[in-house]
Amino acid sequence: MKKRLSWSLLLTLILGVGLLAGCSDSGSASGDGDEADDDVLKVWSFTDELKEPIKTFEEKNGVKVELTIVPIADYPTKLKPVLESGVGAPDVFTGEVAFLKQWTDRDYWENLSQEPYNADELEGDYIDYVYDLGKDSEGNVKALSWQTTPGGIFYKRSIAKEVLGTDDPDQLGEMMSSWDGLFEVGEQLKAEGYRLFPDEGAIRWFAKGEDPQPWVNEDDELIMTDAKLNYFDHAKKLREKDYTAFAPEWSPSWNASMSGPIAYNGGWEEVDEDAAASDKTEVFSYALPTWGLHSVLKPNAEDTSGDWGVTTGPVPYFWGGTWIGIYSGSEKKDLAWDFVQMMTHDEEFLTDWAKETGDVLSYKPVNEKIKDEFSEPFLNGQNNYTFFLDQAKKIEPGIVTKYDQQIDTLLGAQVLEYVDGKKTKEEAIEEFYKQVKNAYPEIKTP
Amino acid sequence: MKTEKKSLNVPVNKQGLKKKRSFSRKAIYTLLILLTIISIVPFYMMIINATRENQAILGGFSFLPGSALIENYRTMMDYVNIWNGFKNSLIVSVSVTVLSGYFSALTAFGFAVYEFKGKNLLFIFMLLMMMVPGQLGLIGFYELNNAIGTLDTYIPLIVPAIASPFVVFFLRQYLSTTLHPSLLEAARMDGAGELKIFHTVALPIMMPAVATMSIFTFIGSWNNYIVPLVVLFSPEKYTLPVLMGFLKGSQVATNLGSMYLGIAISVVPIMIAFLFFSKYIISSISAGSIKG
Amino acid sequence: MKKLNHKGYYFIAPFFAIFLVFNIYPVLLTFYYTFTRYEGYGKPEFIGLENYTRILTDGYFLEAFINTWKIWGLNFALQLGIALFLAALFSDLRYRIKGIGFFRAVFYLPNLITISSVAILFNIMLDWQHGSINMFLMKIGLISDPINWLNEPATAQISVALILTWMWFGYTFIVLMAGVSGIPGELYEAALIDGANRWQTFVHITLPLLKPIMLYVMITSLIGGLQLFDLPMLITDGLGAPEGSLNTMVLYLYNQAFRYNNYGYAATIAYALFLITVIFSVVTFRSMYRTNAKKEG
Repeated sequence: MKKRLSWSLLLTLILGVGLLAGCSDSGSASGDGDEADDDVLKVWSFTDELKEPIKTFEEKNGVKVELTIVPIADYPTKLKPVLESGVGAPDVFTGEVAFLKQWTDRDYWENLSQEPYNADELEGDYIDYVYDLGKDSEGNVKALSWQTTPGGIFYKRSIAKEVLGTDDPDQLGEMMSSWDGLFEVGEQLKAEGYRLFPDEGAIRWFAKGEDPQPWVNEDDELIMTDAKLNYFDHAKKLREKDYTAFAPEWSPSWNASMSGPIAYNGGWEEVDEDAAASDKTEVFSYALPTWGLHSVLKPNAEDTSGDWGVTTGPVPYFWGGTWIGIYSGSEKKDLAWDFVQMMTHDEEFLTDWAKETGDVLSYKPVNEKIKDEFSEPFLNGQNNYTFFLDQAKKIEPGIVTKYDQQIDTLLGAQVLEYVDGKKTKEEAIEEFYKQVKNAYPEIKTP
Repeated sequence: MKTEKKSLNVPVNKQGLKKKRSFSRKAIYTLLILLTIISIVPFYMMIINATRENQAILGGFSFLPGSALIENYRTMMDYVNIWNGFKNSLIVSVSVTVLSGYFSALTAFGFAVYEFKGKNLLFIFMLLMMMVPGQLGLIGFYELNNAIGTLDTYIPLIVPAIASPFVVFFLRQYLSTTLHPSLLEAARMDGAGELKIFHTVALPIMMPAVATMSIFTFIGSWNNYIVPLVVLFSPEKYTLPVLMGFLKGSQVATNLGSMYLGIAISVVPIMIAFLFFSKYIISSISAGSIKG
Repeated sequence: MKKLNHKGYYFIAPFFAIFLVFNIYPVLLTFYYTFTRYEGYGKPEFIGLENYTRILTDGYFLEAFINTWKIWGLNFALQLGIALFLAALFSDLRYRIKGIGFFRAVFYLPNLITISSVAILFNIMLDWQHGSINMFLMKIGLISDPINWLNEPATAQISVALILTWMWFGYTFIVLMAGVSGIPGELYEAALIDGANRWQTFVHITLPLLKPIMLYVMITSLIGGLQLFDLPMLITDGLGAPEGSLNTMVLYLYNQAFRYNNYGYAATIAYALFLITVIFSVVTFRSMYRTNAKKEG
């Protein structure tokens, strides 16, 4: 009987061995692969925008590049164990501005300031704030970026002409160059049944860009500027004066509002059915950065192509951006550097890239040559490229901290609670401090 | 047992029962159909949306299919080979289901039938380990697989299924109502070995429960996202959910129709398999109840 | 029986071998982290019991604890109620409801979709201006104004509980039916012949014999419920809005670990949650067996 019982153990063993054999098979297969892989460059990113550049790179250098895309929400989760242990790591990986600052101070990315890269020599070639963001706290360059992502206000020209008497970007920018001016425009639009912005969140970038200071200083103190305190009031005013359309970013209403009027309820407690049915409104403008044109407006508002313009808000700002660097443990650093170089300062490639995708470059030598050629049909022929370059120059470098992404989110949530009338301003600010402290116990709040 | 005693005194009132039954049956079927609709509608919407254009989907709901199915399929296949992911998912999920079903039955049998030192302690230990929140174990799990060299293989996805505490727990509970010691004694008298008793007596009795759990195991494994995401590197080994994530990061994500099609392709086949499979379970369940 | 004592070990050996290899290391590692400040990068820094003193005074954790119970409690009551009711219907010989296989399969369908798709789906349907749920309720006149479901704490919690019920009632039903099918059919026939009414049959035959399976359902649902997080995370901003009402214990843990990089504290939350789960499981076990003893006595 004993013998029979040990059967189950034997079975386990057999299964185990079988699986291990299977594994070692695949292991050796991938081992062989590794040898053959010698000239395969592994690149990880969270979008597929590198797909075309990789094709170009493969053709130019006669090598193979393997691109792995991980959705942005899971990108840090996937990268963390890999970069910590160094197993299965890529040779090149990108970072979004949301987690860029958390990574620059680790030794995940190769220090590009040292030999043979000498990225410091390139400093003057890049837009200040973009170059600066890729540095660690000691000033070493860890990652570079080919793009710059400043923002503006995209507006509908037909509405501007009808209500404000002009659709000229400069004149409109002038009108909206201050908070008072912005609200004045909002008032005029409201009188004609339009809404200035889709929702209150639209002004958060202006609040952030006004009086630019880092969220947390060297002494780990949270810096609450007046501009940020005013953000509460400005947002509340937008809601109370009905300058917004209850269409929060990325919501179905938001997407729908770009191509035409949307249903609108001015506060659900006072809506009666007839009004709800007939109450439609159209949103005038959206605060979006460079990429907003291609990945938000164009897909959502195909039919209104040509009826759009872009101008400045009260404060210059930037939103998003992708940086690229070499994994410090990579065994193919030369090839990896070739790729990073192509992406960030190969004139021929970047010229083609900018012309094809409309992406605004951070590399000045190419920008100087091509910026005047742009004329965007979607924006009625406006040169958005030059517009955004001008905006990029105005952005203060060196104020992004590793805390920004999360603290901005916490602040936005509290502003919304104040706007919704669930908290007083004082309560909301108090709760904000409490949450910052809870998330980052090392930060001292006012 | 109380009912049996009582029964002697309760007169049978068949007419009353009949009347009541015909009234409430309508209500019952109405309720069941309502629940059916609630359960099915999202799938219907998903399949419909898989055939519609992006603009139309953004524009709102529709109960009628669109005409963009082939286009959506092409857009998707340009980026990922979804059928390869399908194959990978199938390999992993089937292995997981078989291992989990067999070894859990084995373990539950060991716990339910034998008395041995530390049995209760081990069982309680197993239950306790079920209660540890898994989210934090990910880094340790990665390091472990790194140490034993099983990263980028299916081992970390498949082998841990041998130890499925939830399934063992369920099967042990099930055995406690269905397995009579007399059955085992009879088999032993016939001179059967313990493992043979397990295979010939206990396993057939457990089959309905194992089959039920297998559905959940299979689907859990089929939808598992975070573990394969972390342990697999080679795109050709990606399972369906990881592939869908890949899709979400690409330009296809702006084409909702293709996204819905991807979700549909990953769900509809298991839906059909499930509907088919559940038929088999019914027969085994009724077989089980006759035996019992 | 005594002779067979050691045989049990062979049967459970494979389980525990694999279990130890794949589970113990991560769990012990997590325990070590509870005594450290660890960002998930580099080396953990030993800080003694600081994390433990922090969790005892952490208002957000308490809030998360209460939220979790509210959401899970409502969901479980509904889910078990519906599943038990269905199980009673289908096990009742008098109704002879047809198509059990069909219904069982169909009710389980919501559980087939991944949670992220469920979240996307309901986000669209619960949208207060364009969502189909509001439109439907207004059409049939149940409400006159659209309800902003995910913007008020109470309705947000109810919404999440209902979605969970939708996802899981079929599962619980199947599990209960598996238990019911293990009940000898003669018992029901005997009850039918004896003229026991439905309620009597249910209370005196189905329920007592379902007890082991009910215990399974309760314990696993408790464990799963206390670990609730992906739906609340995906359906709002990930922080548990509105007003922190969807901030569950594991969502809090998740945010501390992966959003704010406080691995040490997150590990401590994991162990606090573990302790809570153990306590409530023991209570459930005890109360199930006590009522059992009473009935028999």
